[in-house]
Amino acid sequence: MNAYVRLLLCATLLATPALQAVASHPAESVYHLEASLTNQTGDEHGLDIYSGNPVLITMFYGRCPMTCPLLIDTLKAIERSTTAEQRARLRILMISIDPENDTPEALLQLAKQRRIDLTRWTLARADERTVRKIAAVLGIQYRKLPNGAYNHSSVIALLDPNGVVVARSSMIGKADEGMLEKIAKY
Amino acid sequence: MKRSLVLLACVAALGMSACTKQHAPQIVQVAEADTGGSRRGDFGPPIGEPIRAVLTSPPHVPPPTNRTHPARVIVELEVTEVDMEIAEGVTYTFWTFGGTVPGSFIRVRQGDTVEFHLKNHPDSKMPHNIDLHGVTGPGGGAASTFTAPGHKSTFTFKALNQGLYVYHCATAPVGMHVANGMYGLILVEPPQGLPPVDREFYVMQGDFYTVGKYREKGHQPFDMQKAIDEHPTYVVFNGAETALTGPKALKAKTNETIRMYVGNGGPNLVSSFHVIGEIFDKVQYEGGTRFQENVQTTLIPAGGAAIVEFHTEVPGNYVLVDHSIFRAFNKGALAMLEVDGPEVPEIFTGKLQDEVYIGDKVASLASVATAVQASAQGNLTVAQQIEAGSALYKGTCSVCHQDDGAGLPNVFPPLAKSDYLMSNPQRAIEVVLNGLSGPVTVNGSTYNSVMPPMSQLNDDEIANILTYAMNNWGNKGPAITAEQVAKVRATTKRAEGAAH
Amino acid sequence: MRTDALRLMAASLLLIGSTTDAAGTRAIADAPLQITIPAGELASVLPPAPGVKTVRVAAFRLDHTPVTNEQFSRFVAEHPEWRRDRVAGVFADGSYLSHWRSATEIEPHQRNQPVVYVSWFAANAYCESRGARLPTWHEWEYVAAASATEQDGRNDDEWRQTILGWYSKSARHSLPEVGKTPVNYYGVRDLHGVIWEWVDDVNAMLVSSDNREQSSPDALRFCGPGALTMEEKENYATLMRIAMLSSMQANYTSKTMGFRCASDFGTHGRNKP
Repeated sequence: MNAYVRLLLCATLLATPALQAVASHPAESVYHLEASLTNQTGDEHGLDIYSGNPVLITMFYGRCPMTCPLLIDTLKAIERSTTAEQRARLRILMISIDPENDTPEALLQLAKQRRIDLTRWTLARADERTVRKIAAVLGIQYRKLPNGAYNHSSVIALLDPNGVVVARSSMIGKADEGMLEKIAKY
Repeated sequence: MKRSLVLLACVAALGMSACTKQHAPQIVQVAEADTGGSRRGDFGPPIGEPIRAVLTSPPHVPPPTNRTHPARVIVELEVTEVDMEIAEGVTYTFWTFGGTVPGSFIRVRQGDTVEFHLKNHPDSKMPHNIDLHGVTGPGGGAASTFTAPGHKSTFTFKALNQGLYVYHCATAPVGMHVANGMYGLILVEPPQGLPPVDREFYVMQGDFYTVGKYREKGHQPFDMQKAIDEHPTYVVFNGAETALTGPKALKAKTNETIRMYVGNGGPNLVSSFHVIGEIFDKVQYEGGTRFQENVQTTLIPAGGAAIVEFHTEVPGNYVLVDHSIFRAFNKGALAMLEVDGPEVPEIFTGKLQDEVYIGDKVASLASVATAVQASAQGNLTVAQQIEAGSALYKGTCSVCHQDDGAGLPNVFPPLAKSDYLMSNPQRAIEVVLNGLSGPVTVNGSTYNSVMPPMSQLNDDEIANILTYAMNNWGNKGPAITAEQVAKVRATTKRAEGAAH
Repeated sequence: MRTDALRLMAASLLLIGSTTDAAGTRAIADAPLQITIPAGELASVLPPAPGVKTVRVAAFRLDHTPVTNEQFSRFVAEHPEWRRDRVAGVFADGSYLSHWRSATEIEPHQRNQPVVYVSWFAANAYCESRGARLPTWHEWEYVAAASATEQDGRNDDEWRQTILGWYSKSARHSLPEVGKTPVNYYGVRDLHGVIWEWVDDVNAMLVSSDNREQSSPDALRFCGPGALTMEEKENYATLMRIAMLSSMQANYTSKTMGFRCASDFGTHGRNKP
C-alpha cells in the first residue's frame, strides 16, 4: 500500500508543479469533512483513510436483515469484475449508521463472518452526528425506525483518489457496468 | 436533407435492403391496421448533430420538424413562478414551464432522442419536476427531473409513440402544482410528418381556484379547499380570461385550413371543446393517430389533448368554448378566432332582415293596421272590423273569455250567445272601458269576479273588438263604431290609473 | 414528575415574556432566544414507520425566530472557513451567501432578515458553534402545527389557508424581517409565511422524488420498509415543506431556505457564537 501511495505521490508531484495540490483536495471532495471514525479493530481514522486510492464507499448497519448483506455481496461482485491490477488499487469503506449496536467488536465479527479481506476493506462506525454528515456528503438517506431498525437508501459511491464522488449506483446484486468503467480509470 | 436523399439513392442502387429498417415510415404506411405503437417507434440511433428544439409560447406552434431521420433534440425548459393576470385586475401567482400558461410547446419527431434539461429558476420558491405523457419510462421523467430552486436536471428519452401529449409538474402536492398552471403540450410527429395546413394554434384549457370570487380584484391566492371540492373560480383557455380575446384573439383568413392543438391541463375538469359556428372536419381525438370526421364538440380529458382541424369558409368571429356552458360565460372559458375575408353569401348570408316577431299575432296584426287605415279614410267595412277585432281579442280578452268566447264556468262569463252582451251594446262599451265588479247574471248563471278597465285600448280598437265579439260564435249583432266608444269614454268615469 | 412539568411551564412562560419584549422594542439579540417546547405527540405528515401514526417528541428548546443575516455574518467572521469564497463546494453550492455584499459584509437592510442561501452543512455548523443543533423534522413539524391559539391548529381551515397564502406569493419579493409574524401557541414566530427551514434529518425523509409512486416502494432501492408514505394528504402546507426539503441536497442553497437552531432540553445552547 505504502508503495502505491508513494507512487501516486510521485506521479502527482511530477504532473503538477505546485506541492499544494497534494495537500488540498478539490472543492467537491468529501475528504473536506472532518469525521472521526473507528474501525473494526478500534483504530481511529478519518473519512480519508484511503485517500490516494479509488474507494467504494457505502453505508449499512450490521443487524440489517436484507439489503445490507446484499450490499456486501454487491461490493464483492464489483471487486470480482475488476482486473487484478484494478483490484490492487481499489479500497472499500463501509460505514455503519447504527453506532449504538455496531461496536468495533460487532464489526470485526461481521467481517469474519462474511470473510471480508481487511487488508483492503474497512468497516467503521462514528457518532450519530458524524454519521448524519457523512450521509449528507454522500447523498445517502437513512432514518431510524421506532423498532430500532433503519431505513436507508442502498447506494454505493465511487470516490476518486481525491475523494470526489465520481459514480453512484443503486444496483444491488450485481456489478454496475457504469461503475466498472469508472473504476478502470483510476 | 439533400445528402440523405443521395444516400437513399445509393442505398437503393446497391440494393441494400437491410437499410430499409432505417426508414420505418415506409413500413408504417404499409401496415395500415395499426402504426405499431412504441414497438415500431424506434428508428435507430440519432443521426447528425444534436438539434436545439424550437419552443414557442401559446398560442404559437413551432414549425414542423421536416425531418426524415431520427435526431438528438435538446429541449431546455425553464420553470418560473410569476405573477400574471388571470382576469382583468386580478393577479395570480402562476407556476410555469417557460413563463407562460400553458407551458412552451415542444415539437419533436417520432424516434427522436430528446435530451431534456429542466431548469428551476433561482427565484422559485418551490421544487418542481416534469412528467411528460409522451415518455416511455417511470414517472414520465418525474423522478429524474425533480429539481430544487436554482438547479437544473437532465434526462433523455426516446419518443417512441407519435401523438399529442400533455406534460405537467408532478411534485407534491401534485394537484396544486397543476392547478397553478404547470402543464403544456409536446407533439410527437409521425415519421412522415403531419399534412401541411395554413395555420396552427396552441390552446389549452385549465381550471383555477382562487380565494376570492370570480373577477374579485387584486392578488388572489390559491384556494386548496375549492380545488379539493372541484369548484373552480375560473375555467380559462391559455391561462387567462383575456388570453385569446380582444386584441389577442386568434386570427385567420377565409379559405384556410386551421389546425388546433388543444390540451386540457385540468387539474379537475373535463372539457367539452367546441368552436361556435364551425364543424371540425377532423378530430384526432385524445391526441391519437386515428381521426373522426365532422365533429361538433369533442371531449378532452384532464391530462389529455386533441388535434382538431377545420376549414374556414365564412368570415367573422368564431368563439371557442367549453360547452359545459356556464364555464364559458361565468368562469371565463371563452376564446375568439377572427376570420377575415370576403363574404360568401351562397354559404352563409348573414342577417337579411330584422323585424319584430310576436308569435302568431304577426299575420293578424296586419288586419289591425288595415282597419286603422280604412277608418281614417272613412271606408271601414264590418268585415275589416271583425278581422281586426279578432286579432285584438287574442291576447287581450281571450285570456279570460277564452278563444271560443265560452268563458270559464262560474269564473268568467261567456261572450258567445251571451244575453248580457247582446242585450245592451251601450253597456258592453262601458264594461270594456270602465271594467266591472260585483255579481252579474249571464245566461242565467251568476258570476262574481272582477274585470279590469281596458281603457288603454283606443276607440277604434274597442269598437273592433266589440264588433268581433257581437258577430262571432253564433252572435248576430250590430257593428260598434269608434264614435260610440268615444262618446262613452267622454261621458263616463273610470277608476284612477285604470289605463294600465 | 409533576414538579418537572411545572418547572418546564414556568421556564417557557418566562421565555415567552422576555421574547415578546425583545421582538417589539429592541434589536435582535446576538442569537435568537430559545423557547422551551414541552414534550408531546403529533400525528405526523411523515409517520416514523408504516402503520405508526403518531410520533412522540421529547421536550426541547427552539429558537423563537430564524437566524438572521447579521447573526450568521458574525459566525462567518469567527469561522472564516464558512466564507463564501472559502467554503468547499462539497459543503455549499455556488449560490451560497450570494446575496451578501461581499464574503464578509451584508447589506444594511439585510440585518434582521432571515439568512438564506445557506446550505445544510453551513446551518449545521452555525448551530454547533452555539452548542446547539438543527431541529429534527418531527420537532419542527410539531411546533409548526401550532396556531396562535391551538397546540394543533392543522384542522383549522382558516389558519391553513393563511399558511397557504405564503406559497401563493412568488419569491421575487424581498424577505420580511424576522419576528414580525404573530407568536404561535408556544411563543415561536415565523415558522410559516417567511422562509423554508432546514432540519437536521433532511436526509431522513426517504421520500421518493416522484411523490405519486409512494405506495409501491422499490424494496431494493431502500433497505427496510422502503420509501415513506405521506399522510394527511390535504395538509398542503406541510407536504410542500417535505417536497422542498427532499429536493435539496445538503450542499444546496436557495433564495428562500434558511434555518433556526434547537437544543435538547436540559442542555443549554450558548446564546453567543
